[in-house]
Amino acid sequence: MRNEKRMERILGYSLVAPALLLILAIAIWPVIQSFYYSLFDYRLNDPRKSSIHLNYSLDLEGYLQNYPFLQSALKQELATAEGTVKETLAEVEQKLTDMDAAIRKDEQVAKQYDQVNEALDNFETPSEEVKIVELDEQTAKQLISTVDSAVQTLKQIHQDGGLKQPDKVVGLAEGLTGVVIEPNFVGLKHYKDNFSDPRLWKALWNTTFFTVVSVAVELVLGLAIALLINKAFFGRGLVRATILVPWAIPTAVSALMWKFLYDGQNGIVAKYFENIGLVDRMGDLLTTEAGAMFAVIFADVWKTTPYMALLLLAGLQTIPSSLYEAASIDGATKWQQFVKVTLPLLKSSILVALLFRTLDAFRVFDLIFVLTGGGPANSTETISILAYKVMFSQTNFGNGSALAVIVFICVAIISMIYIKWLGKDLLSDSASAKR
Amino acid sequence: MTKKAGPLFYIFLVVFVFFVMFPFLWVLLSSIKPLSELFGDKAFQWFTSHPTLKSYISVFVNYPFLRYLWNSTVVATITTVYTVFVAAFAAYAIARLEFRGKTVILGLVLAVSMFPQIATISPIYMFVKKFGLTNSYLGLIIPYTTFALPLSIWLLVTFFRKIPFDLEEAAKIDGATPMQTYFKVILPLAVPGVFTTSILVFIAAWNEFLFALTINTAEKYKTVPVGIAMFQGQYTIPWGEISAATVIVTIPLVIMVLLFQRRIVSGLTSGSVKE
Repeated sequence: MRNEKRMERILGYSLVAPALLLILAIAIWPVIQSFYYSLFDYRLNDPRKSSIHLNYSLDLEGYLQNYPFLQSALKQELATAEGTVKETLAEVEQKLTDMDAAIRKDEQVAKQYDQVNEALDNFETPSEEVKIVELDEQTAKQLISTVDSAVQTLKQIHQDGGLKQPDKVVGLAEGLTGVVIEPNFVGLKHYKDNFSDPRLWKALWNTTFFTVVSVAVELVLGLAIALLINKAFFGRGLVRATILVPWAIPTAVSALMWKFLYDGQNGIVAKYFENIGLVDRMGDLLTTEAGAMFAVIFADVWKTTPYMALLLLAGLQTIPSSLYEAASIDGATKWQQFVKVTLPLLKSSILVALLFRTLDAFRVFDLIFVLTGGGPANSTETISILAYKVMFSQTNFGNGSALAVIVFICVAIISMIYIKWLGKDLLSDSASAKR
Repeated sequence: MTKKAGPLFYIFLVVFVFFVMFPFLWVLLSSIKPLSELFGDKAFQWFTSHPTLKSYISVFVNYPFLRYLWNSTVVATITTVYTVFVAAFAAYAIARLEFRGKTVILGLVLAVSMFPQIATISPIYMFVKKFGLTNSYLGLIIPYTTFALPLSIWLLVTFFRKIPFDLEEAAKIDGATPMQTYFKVILPLAVPGVFTTSILVFIAAWNEFLFALTINTAEKYKTVPVGIAMFQGQYTIPWGEISAATVIVTIPLVIMVLLFQRRIVSGLTSGSVKE
């Protein structure tokens, strides 16, 4: 018997393992990585920040495209220079030579140094792995300061008119200034910047407003519809199918459809809204801040109220009708029946529906991205839209990831609150209970 | 509930259905209008006197719409088949076998299904880019696991739990191994649940927008939602074509929903209702 139990346990773990590994690798690991990215100044459009560096490193390609030519240019200058200029130039040359020697002291650097040099001599492009090499902090700082002082000195000599080929010499020296890749670890700077940026607070407010208003309206309307259609009637299947269509079509497509209906010149819904006095002018719907927010919420309510109604209807159907009979025998009014029987028994259905809807609404992206793009004047920009824009329009992955982590934390807090309300209901192992 | 439905109720029903379907109705009517009647005074006329299929033809001739449909079908189908396959084993174990930590695992699955997509997008984007998977089917199928797999597991667990335990006991007494029980007893009974799960996962994958928008940017690999959303040009929006395209993607959905509404509803509400 015990052996059988062990077998069952082993089988259980091995059946769960593939799914669990996939979830770990494709869902949980990326979230952890997002947090890691958010600690770096990580930008895809800046070659020196397009990956994550915890340490100093040297771009050997950039270095070797400048350093040898600078040395030979300096030698030419030295051959013709005189007096103090000659002395200063010799000093610069010596410093640079020392610096080069210091870099090559490290075995690994020396090896890659030669590889890159060879590749460049053959007019080949050295590979990514070879051309970037890690430097220790001291050497890196020495390199930076040597190059900076060399540039300063050479510019000074140039101003005094002491150089034959000033553009070449100064240009090559300046070419060396960008070769050290500094670590782009910034710690919690992105979070600090974001939390002092009014745009984030605006986006958070927009998201919260959108979520609270649309979910509240959907709950009330959904509950009303569920109560009304909770009876036997002709054409039930058809009504149910009708309800499912808005839920089933892609949000992006429905958003575009609403954009057409809301259009300031030709939109039929905008026209009707103007006729019944809901907006002053048709154009106001998508061009004013309040109008755009209203338009977005209205479209969301249209798309998800039916879904809410279905969830609540399923809950209503589990309430035994004998309870209502008993209540009416006791002389309870319809309202009393609703408050005393329906609502308490529907509580867990309502909470589950609210949990799923709140999280969905808080993560809203497709609807707003297609319908308003976050405009006008960022009035419908939610936090997911902001994070997307920072990541993919500004290609600032570090800051964008910080925003994404903020969304994640908000969602985690919301779910924890709900789960506390729901108790263990949601996860309770009804399988063992039945056993 | 045995309340009788009166005439007032049916009026309410008709109004309700009309409101829900109005946007589709309007888009359908607009899709057969000639271009000139989409703007100006005639824009608000319900019915056109010159119905035309020009917009429909344009959708297929001027846009790679067939390609979008094909891409969405391939991505959604493969995602569904593979995640439901993996999830079926895990869900069986969670619903039917005794081992420690299964509540924690189920909690983890639920938690992951609540993850905002935006929180995973940057590492996933860098991953697919690094392995050259941008603009490929695999580049979408892999990230789609993030929402499809937890959804499948969650739904399948509730379906598996509904199958009576007596059957399993009987199989055990007859000397069947757990794997035999799974393939010969549980799986045949779970077919409706697996089917329902597949429909819901398929719809979720078909409708996905954010990953498709960022990962497959080449015309050749765009999916339907992104493709239609990108119909809008910089200055003009081709409403005729958009209406036609919307009708084309909505009609199969309406048919599917009509056929499978019972299953879809049971899938949507499973897990939210304690029976």
